[in-house]
Amino acid sequence: MDIRQFAENALTIYMGDEIDERVNRQLVALRHHIEGMEVEGIDEIVLSYTSLIIYFDIFKTDARVLKETLGDIDEEALLEEEIEYRVIEIPVCYGGEYGPDLGNFQDNGLSEQEVIDLHGNKEYLVYMLGFMPGFPYLGGLDEKLHKARLETPRVRIPAGSVGIGGRQTGMYPFESPGGWHLLGRTPVPLFDPGREETILYAAGDRIIYRPIDEAEYRRIEEDIASGDYEIKYEMKGGQ
Amino acid sequence: MMMLKVKSPGLYTTVQDLGRYGHQAEGFSPAGAMDYRAFMLANQLLGNDDNAPGLEMTFRGASFEVMQDTVIAAAGADMALEIDGDAFSIGVPIPVFKGSLVEFGAAENGSRTYLAAAGGFRVDRVLGSASTHVRSGIGGYRGRTLQAGDVIRTGDMAAAPGPFRIAGIEEEEAVRVIPGQQYDRFNEEMREKLFGEGYTLTKDCDRMGYRLDGPVLEADPDPGHDVLSEPTQLGSIQVPKGGKPIVLLNDRQTAGGYARIGTVARVDIPKLVQKQPGDTVRFEEVSVEEATALYREEMEKIRDGGYLEINNDFRSHVRPTAGKLARIMER
Repeated sequence: MDIRQFAENALTIYMGDEIDERVNRQLVALRHHIEGMEVEGIDEIVLSYTSLIIYFDIFKTDARVLKETLGDIDEEALLEEEIEYRVIEIPVCYGGEYGPDLGNFQDNGLSEQEVIDLHGNKEYLVYMLGFMPGFPYLGGLDEKLHKARLETPRVRIPAGSVGIGGRQTGMYPFESPGGWHLLGRTPVPLFDPGREETILYAAGDRIIYRPIDEAEYRRIEEDIASGDYEIKYEMKGGQ
Repeated sequence: MMMLKVKSPGLYTTVQDLGRYGHQAEGFSPAGAMDYRAFMLANQLLGNDDNAPGLEMTFRGASFEVMQDTVIAAAGADMALEIDGDAFSIGVPIPVFKGSLVEFGAAENGSRTYLAAAGGFRVDRVLGSASTHVRSGIGGYRGRTLQAGDVIRTGDMAAAPGPFRIAGIEEEEAVRVIPGQQYDRFNEEMREKLFGEGYTLTKDCDRMGYRLDGPVLEADPDPGHDVLSEPTQLGSIQVPKGGKPIVLLNDRQTAGGYARIGTVARVDIPKLVQKQPGDTVRFEEVSVEEATALYREEMEKIRDGGYLEINNDFRSHVRPTAGKLARIMER
């Protein structure tokens, strides 16, 4: 196991050098494994495409002790661990004012409906989060939907917008500037400080965009406002 | 309930504590006081908890109307402080009284000053922290910088402040740097440039990061300056194509895609974040082991009161006492 240190309170474990589902599975299993070990002094674990960072309290443990403890983990055995993950449904109203760039894919030879068919009802793997709170780096976008970013980025993208930038798809939990093609918007708050899980998903989970019409968008908005909306998700994996 | 009313917010004033940790995996920047040492010292002067929410004022400080008697203390850059028109020094606890006007001026010898109040400033915590992260609009006072008219609550006195003041802080000139994730992509010549004459802080220096100007650092063409997005750390020195380093600080994005030549040692973060645009920073290489030992020593020194000394200058006590007497006489 390649454990390295670039900051006083962090160890980085590298597991690969490219975006790969197998590496993600291994990293998720490793995070799960380390959490299960309940090692004294570990504060938080952050995943990325090819590595995992362990933040620790230098007053409770030290890098040498942690390296020894972690060095014994069998990388190959991690792949055999059955890890549960969630498949979270994100309702999306495509097109119109919610997705002003849905028509931009004509040069890809796709009608608006074809874009929705290729993008929606499909599992995307959450590799990592970052860029802004709750912003997912997703894998699994159909190649036909790859598209260079807008030449002139927008100053304001509304929170909940779902879009495509280059080879990536994702969504904006907060209002932000950005150069992505906006396909639609979800009425579900991706960040909610009042919710037990402020962000709905974590690395290793899957996301499915479910196409909805404007009437349903409004209904969900109302349900959310009155506290009646329940996030739909399914547990998969595990035993 | 103690309260301060913001008369003028200064240039960039936010509520901060020591940061929002445990949520970087979800993409939350830690935020928190940039100069953690000055922040902790301001709290210590009042007997507050180290992590009690305080205000971070940048370049030009704020002014407040005191709505109820309390005690305040400031630390960090030397901002001219006047209370009802009388000059006071920072770095000492100061009792302030209802109706008084507390005014901070421009920062000298640094760029950030921390204002602590007895019991800390009271704001709702988001994910366990009072720190403001303006980009995502969360934490602190309504997720934003303070504005004129804001009324911010403070707590009650936790303990009587001791007769202390902050002693002069002496430190080495260089900012030490731990070799980073992509250190190997930079050859000997580039490393010599990084650790050579130094870099100048540009105008693009904020809570997210400091953009530096100076010798251009080129990564080996293959694989170059781009990396797969990886978590960032406090003090990560990113080198994008173009070769001008960017030091990532408290409000940084939690993932970044540029080669990282190094990480600024935590012990030297307070020194770096007190510099102003146009100032020079000189880097020096340090091993991660040595940086850890230095940081541990520094935190122990702060926590053990190693930066405080007995305040023999009674002028800072006398004025407010006289003021209070005058007020009592008026009643």
